[in-house]
Amino acid sequence: MTLTIVLLGAAALIGIGLYGALSQQSFVMLMMGLELMLNGALLAVVGFWSQGLAGMPEGQLLAIIVMAVMAVEMALGFALVVAVYRRRQADMTKSIGTLKE
Amino acid sequence: MSATLPLLVLLTLAAGAWLAAWLDRLIATGRIEPLAPLRVGAALLLRQRVTTEAPDAMNWRLAPAWYLALAAVGLSVVPFAPGAALIDSPVGIVVWGSCEALTVVTVFLHGWSPNAPFPLIGAYRYAAIGLPVMLPSMFVLIAAALPAESLSLVAVVESQREAWNLVRQPLGLPLFLLVGLTLTLRGPFDYADGEDLAGGTSAEDSGPGRALWQLARLAMLVAFSAMAAAVFLGGPLGPWLPGPVWLWLKTAGIMALTVAAGHWLARTTPGRMLTLLWVGLLPLSFLHLAIAGALAL
Amino acid sequence: MRDAFVIALVLFAVWTGWRVFRVDSMVRASFSLMLSFFAVGAIGVLLSAPYIGVATVFMMAVEMMVMAIFMVMFMMNPAGLNPMSMVHQHRLSIGAGAAAFAALAAAALLSELPDAPVPTDKAVVADLGHELLGPSMLIFETAGVTLLATMVGAVILSSRQGRYGMADQGSRPPGLEPGGEPAGRQPDESGGGHHHDHGGHG
Repeated sequence: MTLTIVLLGAAALIGIGLYGALSQQSFVMLMMGLELMLNGALLAVVGFWSQGLAGMPEGQLLAIIVMAVMAVEMALGFALVVAVYRRRQADMTKSIGTLKE
Repeated sequence: MSATLPLLVLLTLAAGAWLAAWLDRLIATGRIEPLAPLRVGAALLLRQRVTTEAPDAMNWRLAPAWYLALAAVGLSVVPFAPGAALIDSPVGIVVWGSCEALTVVTVFLHGWSPNAPFPLIGAYRYAAIGLPVMLPSMFVLIAAALPAESLSLVAVVESQREAWNLVRQPLGLPLFLLVGLTLTLRGPFDYADGEDLAGGTSAEDSGPGRALWQLARLAMLVAFSAMAAAVFLGGPLGPWLPGPVWLWLKTAGIMALTVAAGHWLARTTPGRMLTLLWVGLLPLSFLHLAIAGALAL
Repeated sequence: MRDAFVIALVLFAVWTGWRVFRVDSMVRASFSLMLSFFAVGAIGVLLSAPYIGVATVFMMAVEMMVMAIFMVMFMMNPAGLNPMSMVHQHRLSIGAGAAAFAALAAAALLSELPDAPVPTDKAVVADLGHELLGPSMLIFETAGVTLLATMVGAVILSSRQGRYGMADQGSRPPGLEPGGEPAGRQPDESGGGHHHDHGGHG
């Protein structure tokens, strides 16, 4: 029961995050979408660990890894935003579309 | 004991805030006026509220309350007697760390929400300084957790029966005092509410909101001092007197030290302070952690 | 009883997560995301993972503070209190989000879920520590090296002084319409090191 609720919540967070990552024009808002998806992943991992592993510590380790992924995503994301801003003075995804032409 | 703990926490917060305000006045002006803080507070409560154009009213009202709540939560993880803390969490140190990080958020919100220039500049300056201060803070606290082999503050206090952490890790308390100055917006780290910004994040505060914000700053000083006393001075451990009394004495001592440091140390420009934090204090705290780790082995 | 709290927190996490893309200010958006993370952290504490839960709160408070600063730094209105809405391919995104939710929810509802909760007397935090620095040391060290590489990469990417000159040398702000005049400030060629005044252009 608890696990089902938690997983449904995680699915909703991932869905909203995907919507945000696809629809936002600003880089930083786009990263928020990614973070929200990772939030959902974290929720699912915690739920599975708490309800399905009888306390095996490896499940918590996975949650730590999700948090490390978040840190990497944030740091590199912001570094990229700064680099693009230096080059183009813009923080919108549209303004670096030249790569596709 | 456990039934009286909530009461003890509230009493400590209230009495400590008054003591901190009194110490502030004593060190700043040299005058002994025990009732002056209460008078000033009561006068503020009666003054009218002034508002700005298009503020974020909810966050502006709530920021002082959150600051106060963070101080209360921070104080509740401190053991008042050996083995007795209101929130006896196995990760008490991380709870305190979260309170520290959220303090930066709260001060930022307090400066951002009035939608006025001085508070906003104060908020940005503080966020830029406050975030790097969190790093030495965590290193220092983790170093203190090493001899206890636990993140629980009850265990950290227990581990100091032989020798205080102040003796084992002499660098810890000075580094942690800098964190305290940052958390309570004082002296060399007062980039949020400094007088060069006409009061910074509280430049537009008035009336009860201002009184509550100042009270929350003092309460955070109490929580910080109690935490420093528990982590470095053995908290409630001591002969003859009961635990809470020892904790109060040590807390008052740290509080006087912090207030004095806030009044006597000069402040530098934010840019220089950032260099000092990243280039000076961060490696120093890392060295401290390495030494503590080597000693704990 | 615990389930009731979990349901409330899950709803709060989803609602604040939704608010991230609905509020009209960058600062509100990032703090809304922070609240969503806090709800997940609180669920962690309730579901007997105190370290993960509290560490989430700690980490996200710092991370969202950084997020808010960056948001406002790159935005056109410095205080971040003015309304804004900048979306593209809106329908597609809604569809993709709804499809992802439907698929994941169906998977959660239709599959056989395990039922082996954490024993109440288990020292989960100590377990995690022993696992991190014991059997899973390799994973821990890999994460450490990854984070180190991230730090180096972030510093190199965001540094203004590069191997081939200043990073913003010859950069042109985008035009207001495609191919139009560059809008806003040109970076000064004197190179006086003023790289902090970003406000006032769009």
